[in-house]
Amino acid sequence: MTTRVLIADDSETILLLLRTRLEMEGYEVLAAADGEEVIELMHSATEPDPDILLLDAMMPRKSGIDALRQLRAEGVETPVLIVSAHQDEMDAGAPSGVEVSGFITKPIDFDRLFASIAELTQA
Amino acid sequence: MLTGLAVIGVARFLQQRQEFENATAQSYQLEIAARNRLAGGTHTTGARAVIVAQQHKREQLREDIDGETRDTALLVGAGLIAGLTGAALLFSGLISSMRRPLEELVEASGRLAGGDLDARVKVGGLSETAALGSAFNEMAAELQRRAGERDQLETMKDEFVLTASHELRSPLTSVQGFAELLMLERDKLSPKQADTVEIILDNTRHLVRLLNDLLDLARSDAGRLTIKPTPTDTGPLVEDAARTMRSQTEAKGQSLHLQADPNLPRINVDSDRIRQVLVNLLTNAHEYCPEGAAISVTAKRRDAEVEMVVSDDGPGMAADQLEHIFERFTRGDAGLTQHVGGTGLGLAISKSLVELHGGTIEAESISGRGSAFHVRLPTIPATADSDGGRRMPALEPHPQGEAL
Repeated sequence: MTTRVLIADDSETILLLLRTRLEMEGYEVLAAADGEEVIELMHSATEPDPDILLLDAMMPRKSGIDALRQLRAEGVETPVLIVSAHQDEMDAGAPSGVEVSGFITKPIDFDRLFASIAELTQA
Repeated sequence: MLTGLAVIGVARFLQQRQEFENATAQSYQLEIAARNRLAGGTHTTGARAVIVAQQHKREQLREDIDGETRDTALLVGAGLIAGLTGAALLFSGLISSMRRPLEELVEASGRLAGGDLDARVKVGGLSETAALGSAFNEMAAELQRRAGERDQLETMKDEFVLTASHELRSPLTSVQGFAELLMLERDKLSPKQADTVEIILDNTRHLVRLLNDLLDLARSDAGRLTIKPTPTDTGPLVEDAARTMRSQTEAKGQSLHLQADPNLPRINVDSDRIRQVLVNLLTNAHEYCPEGAAISVTAKRRDAEVEMVVSDDGPGMAADQLEHIFERFTRGDAGLTQHVGGTGLGLAISKSLVELHGGTIEAESISGRGSAFHVRLPTIPATADSDGGRRMPALEPHPQGEAL
């Protein structure tokens, strides 16, 4: 079965880049432009749930951190990788008490990203 | 009081003296007139009586004035002593009313010099010391205002660097990501196109490094550069750093030799940060060395430390250059650096990071023969903690290095 990855970023270019690289690696990709869309997709009855979420830390309307917090509160246990411009933002926005599976910094090291996704979706 | 009396006394005495002289002169005139009458033979009895009376009167006048002189002299003497005493008393009063404010000024100046910008003095007492006090307070207030402005500027600078770093990172992610995408299909590109994309990638990596260095520097200045040490396997860490550099060294025809002793002890480090240090040292070797150079990274145990050495057989450095190599904005030979990217911050940041881990970093070099950088880190110590976030001291500012 193909691994489904939900990606969220407010930059269309980054979404295109992520989608292209992930699809080249054989992943199925769902895309969202902000945290609100992530929640909508997760709540959607028609869309099958993703195996892993890749959320940008800072997005308008609802950030990746806030979306993660809400999903965890709703009991969603899907692994979540937070993508952030830099360590400082993660330190500042690190959701205390909310389980994050890992952090990815920009510019994205795709070898590492693929390794993390593979590791987190194996179980 | 007595001095006033003396002054009045002297004035009165001078008047009495004048009266005495007038009276004496009048007395002589009366006597002379009487003697003339006696010589003329008229009223001789009356004339003689006048002469005797006038002589007696002058005697009385002289006695009176002598008494007055004595009294006045006494009075003046007493007045003088009293005046001197008064002056002394007045002066000591002056001194003590000046000493308090002056002592306070000295104390406040000391505090101000020591960095206590809240130091102020009470303004009061004599007008002179009050003026001095309010001048001091104005100066201290001005200093405080400027220090506040400077702090505000520092904060603005830090925020600017953070914002700039964030805003630049998204487009850089796209540029690097799509260039990498092109390189994944290298065989579909002409050699010239492939070279072009390689140049884009090189420059993107350089920009990212520059951004990271500036960010680290800003954090270090703000005392916010922290490490999160966790027990880490030394071998894989060094291998990972070497792997990151492999494609770049190969592209320049340089050999990258890795030798990590088996059974290396674990180290309590922030692996991202130590990898950053190693990659930085390897990048320097890669960029300063010509094509075909030999670069090596080794890791071995040395007592209670792990020693990692990054060395090369490149151009090396002269002793005077080596001396300043860990200072900010210090870069290699100007003739070389024209072809070499970098910010001149990498080694300063590396040194801070290594020291934050309780380790040391040293450089040795022979001009024309090569360079070697030794990083020593303590093996898992008893105080292994993973509660993270040790603060680092600010990087030593370089005299010419305030250009951020």
